Amino acid sequence: MTSPSALAAVRGVVARDLQRALRQRSRLLGGLARPLLWLLLVGTGYGAIARLEGGVPYHAFVFPGVVVMAALFGAMLTAIGTVYDREFGMLRLMLASPAGVAAILVGRALAAAAVGVLQGGVVLLFAPLAITITMGQGLAALGALVLGALVFAVLGLLVAARLRSVENFAGVINVVLFPLLFASGALYPVGGMPAPMRLLARANPVTYAVDLVRQAMGLAGEWRAVNDLVVMVGVAAAAFLLTALLFDPEQRLIRARRNSAVA
Amino acid sequence: MTAPLAVQAARLGRDYGATRALEGLDLEVPAGALVGLLGPNGAGKTTAMLLLATLLAPTRGSAALFGCDTRRDRRAARQRLGLVFQEPSVDGLLTVEENLRFAARLAGLREREARAAVRATLDRVGLTARAAQPARTLSGGWRRLADIARATLHRPALLILDEPTVGLDPEHRERVWALLDEERRTRGCAILFSTHYLAEAEPADHVVLLAAGRVAAAGEPALLRRALGAAVVELEGSGAAGAVRLLQCDDLVSRAIRTDRGYRVALRDAHAPALERLAAAPGLTRVTVRETTLEDVYFAVTVCASDDAP
Repeated sequence: MTSPSALAAVRGVVARDLQRALRQRSRLLGGLARPLLWLLLVGTGYGAIARLEGGVPYHAFVFPGVVVMAALFGAMLTAIGTVYDREFGMLRLMLASPAGVAAILVGRALAAAAVGVLQGGVVLLFAPLAITITMGQGLAALGALVLGALVFAVLGLLVAARLRSVENFAGVINVVLFPLLFASGALYPVGGMPAPMRLLARANPVTYAVDLVRQAMGLAGEWRAVNDLVVMVGVAAAAFLLTALLFDPEQRLIRARRNSAVA
Repeated sequence: MTAPLAVQAARLGRDYGATRALEGLDLEVPAGALVGLLGPNGAGKTTAMLLLATLLAPTRGSAALFGCDTRRDRRAARQRLGLVFQEPSVDGLLTVEENLRFAARLAGLREREARAAVRATLDRVGLTARAAQPARTLSGGWRRLADIARATLHRPALLILDEPTVGLDPEHRERVWALLDEERRTRGCAILFSTHYLAEAEPADHVVLLAAGRVAAAGEPALLRRALGAAVVELEGSGAAGAVRLLQCDDLVSRAIRTDRGYRVALRDAHAPALERLAAAPGLTRVTVRETTLEDVYFAVTVCASDDAP
């Protein structure tokens, strides 16, 4: 995977995906408007009724969650490009390149993560309106966001791995995105959730991204930061391996044939 | 030492569940050769091409590109390969130049090589003036040429093209074939293509006719035409079936194929005796004599046997 040809392919895929993302301006602006509207409308509404432990104002509590939400939607929805490429034949050409599936997936994940970081990063610039953080805390939050966006990008690719039409992706991704968001602690504390939902939140990788960003901004977290890091890296690695397998079923068939020939 | 074949396939086959898409293809394409895969829709042409392009794993048999096995040595096989599929594979949101830059990077070219290859390819294909144009604004013909440019940019030793001229006007078809001829002439690139425009397959060194996943005929186009018959008579009208029987009685017919409009009759020898017989045959509205074409061979080997007897 680290051969010069694989690196060139990764670079090519990242450049193309970012060019595509930046040219779809209405989608990009919509991705920025969603979290800001959320912060303005839901944050203000909930702020009037929510009482949180330690007297943290609701808009300060929810701000890290909204930053992660922007990255989550930005990174995961970018995977629609993979389904589009499959539907219109471009993916076949990419998979037939000497670089191989892993390089293509790395490129796609990096590009989707960059879109997520861009959208989450822009929301992060609005931090002074909701929460008091230092420059160092802002940079730490950005670092946590980069890792989170990478996890979300790989999860988006996993969702897209076997889908053959853009319409199917649009239907499936909403079913995936909203539970990931609502059962993550982004909008309300995990500790205050009913027991079954708390279990769901613990199995949800977005929970750990929210927790990490929240701690980076100086707020109290549910778990230790190192715990969040380990879970996120583990989920990203496992999801990447699974995605690579699902992307290239023919490779599995080849291995199976080779093994049966050896046996 | 002889150079390895561009393509060498032995009993190459693929099933999709219970459906046998390709039974067992034996194929040899020498370096620099032009080889056509012909056959009706669903005959197995695209499956054969996807197998050779390393995008499908065979259910049986094997294939190698320049001696590199398409299963065990996929990366090496892919480095020598350029692909064009039926649907244009250029990104409409990117400019022509950006599409080519993307293709160069996918092929593993370093930045300096990529820049030089993109410039040279734009020039060679005649796309320099359109380099900065978003690909979605190109006409279908120019899009296809951009596709050919993408596939040939890294100067592959083998091009696999699945219906490269489908939907193009004659001018762009001509331009596509001129480019492909140049690839063969100047670099000795081998070309394996499929097409439904059978006249495009006439100049091929070798053609393989597939029907229902099986090889129905294979060989040089001229030999296949000669084997079918010296000439073909097309008969139309209510008396066409009777006229065919008349010719068959005199043992003049090599093969008679029923079509929607009448019959195509391949004649064993010169057409003069057949025309004498047909002059007296009643109920014929049209009698056309012409040279045997690859299209006649196609109909002869792909039309169901039960359909061709009068």
